[in-house]
Amino acid sequence: MLTVEKLEAGYGPMQVLWGPDIEIKEGSITSLLGPNGAGKSTLLKTVLGSVAATGGKIRFAGRDITALPSHKRVDLGLTLVPEGKHIFKEMTVFDNLMMGAYRQEARIHRKESLELVYSLFPLLAERKNQKSGTLSGGQQQMVTIGRALMTKPKLIMMDEPSQGLAPKIVLEIFETVEKLKKEIGLTILLVEQNAAASLDAADYVYIMHEGVIKAQGSASKIKASDEIREAYLGL
Amino acid sequence: MIFEQLSGNLLQGVILGGVYGMATMGLSLIFGVLKVVNVGHGAFIMVGAYVALTLFQTFGVAPPLAVPAAMVIGMALGMVFYYSAIRKLLKGPELASLLATFSCGVILEEVCKQLFTSEARGYNWELGKLDLGFTVLPHAKLLAFGGSALIGILLYLWFHKTRAGMAMRCVVESDEGARVCGIDVDWEYALSFSIGIGLTVVSGVLLTMFIPVGINPYMGGSYTLKAFVIAVLGGLASPYGAFFGGLVFGLIENGSYTLFAQIPGLEPFAMTRFFSFAMLLVILLLRPTGLLKAK
Repeated sequence: MLTVEKLEAGYGPMQVLWGPDIEIKEGSITSLLGPNGAGKSTLLKTVLGSVAATGGKIRFAGRDITALPSHKRVDLGLTLVPEGKHIFKEMTVFDNLMMGAYRQEARIHRKESLELVYSLFPLLAERKNQKSGTLSGGQQQMVTIGRALMTKPKLIMMDEPSQGLAPKIVLEIFETVEKLKKEIGLTILLVEQNAAASLDAADYVYIMHEGVIKAQGSASKIKASDEIREAYLGL
Repeated sequence: MIFEQLSGNLLQGVILGGVYGMATMGLSLIFGVLKVVNVGHGAFIMVGAYVALTLFQTFGVAPPLAVPAAMVIGMALGMVFYYSAIRKLLKGPELASLLATFSCGVILEEVCKQLFTSEARGYNWELGKLDLGFTVLPHAKLLAFGGSALIGILLYLWFHKTRAGMAMRCVVESDEGARVCGIDVDWEYALSFSIGIGLTVVSGVLLTMFIPVGINPYMGGSYTLKAFVIAVLGGLASPYGAFFGGLVFGLIENGSYTLFAQIPGLEPFAMTRFFSFAMLLVILLLRPTGLLKAK
């Protein structure tokens, strides 16, 4: 579904990605692990298009999207739950969700998408007229995930969705991620600090370090490898 | 006597302040979306003044009808300056875009000097007056005030009730959040710069109701300064906050003028300007996000 080939990107003169190759299969949860500064967030941003690729290729749903602006990538069914949420705090929960259905294709399906979001997060239905900036951290994260679902995505990338949340909420977030795969058949690329929980949720795992992929394999294989766990995951 | 004079001047202040507020909306919009301070702001007001003057004197077009023309000319200028000068500098240091907008202003001033000479001009659009006893309000000024309020309301409705306006608010709140929704952030930048300049040029048309003989290529400077004070009063990034900031500014300007004029030996006009900027400093120190915004 998504193929990243020898991707290079960075910020101005500082190159962050040094040619990682990644392949993501439809209907799977792929986890991207690695220490801070490994380039995981940059990889997601480059796939979305908010950071420009300076080398390599990104293919999505059979198309080369390397040069496509990000709003066209969203049209194709690609979206991101960004790190630090980036919800529209001055707007109501409902308006936040509706902005997720901004593109033409998503707008047509906005009623079904909204039902889906409310069934996943009934609390958002209760609070739909509340200003989203007044919600708790966990609830704001629900808005972010809900908004991403409103874009009618095929692949959702999630950047640290459990960051800064209470353990109980973290658990809920991971349950939601698995539900999205099992019940809706979404493909998910997950970046997480919480390596243990990610390994449990994921089908396939990539380990990134200093802008390159150092190891990869099925989640069970990575879990079984003491060498990888000690070297990169600190488990 | 003094109270009659004061209330008369305060009313004049509200009327002028509303138009000042409208003249600041564009500045606030551009700052809110692009985080670019348009130092050439006043030059675009000047362009609007010449649009009104030329249409009135050459073609006999009444100033209210010059408003749509000014919006179109302003938006076109905005697009040209955005794609030629601003766009590439957004990722650079702040000084780069400051210098660029400053240069845009200088270019406009010099082009207008070539076209219209530096002679101060004006026109007289006689519509009659409203005599309230303690003060006299020309209908043209009332119309300019009403137009400013109407534009403020329309802008508010556009931002809150339309999909395009809400997309722009998304960009104000978070670029990345807007991008993941599929909003074309680069286009929103261009559009908001263009609308911001359009509104500013329109405000130049409305301001000509208040300056019978003051239209000249370098008239913009004092408006730039006032707009900065008003923008801060109104909460910097909020275009309709700017409207209320303008009302407050108009009241303070005219009120303090009247009071300073009572003190012998003071030059009230200079004191008013001093007072406005002293106020700006105090507000920036105490509430850097503006008076009207709680955050």
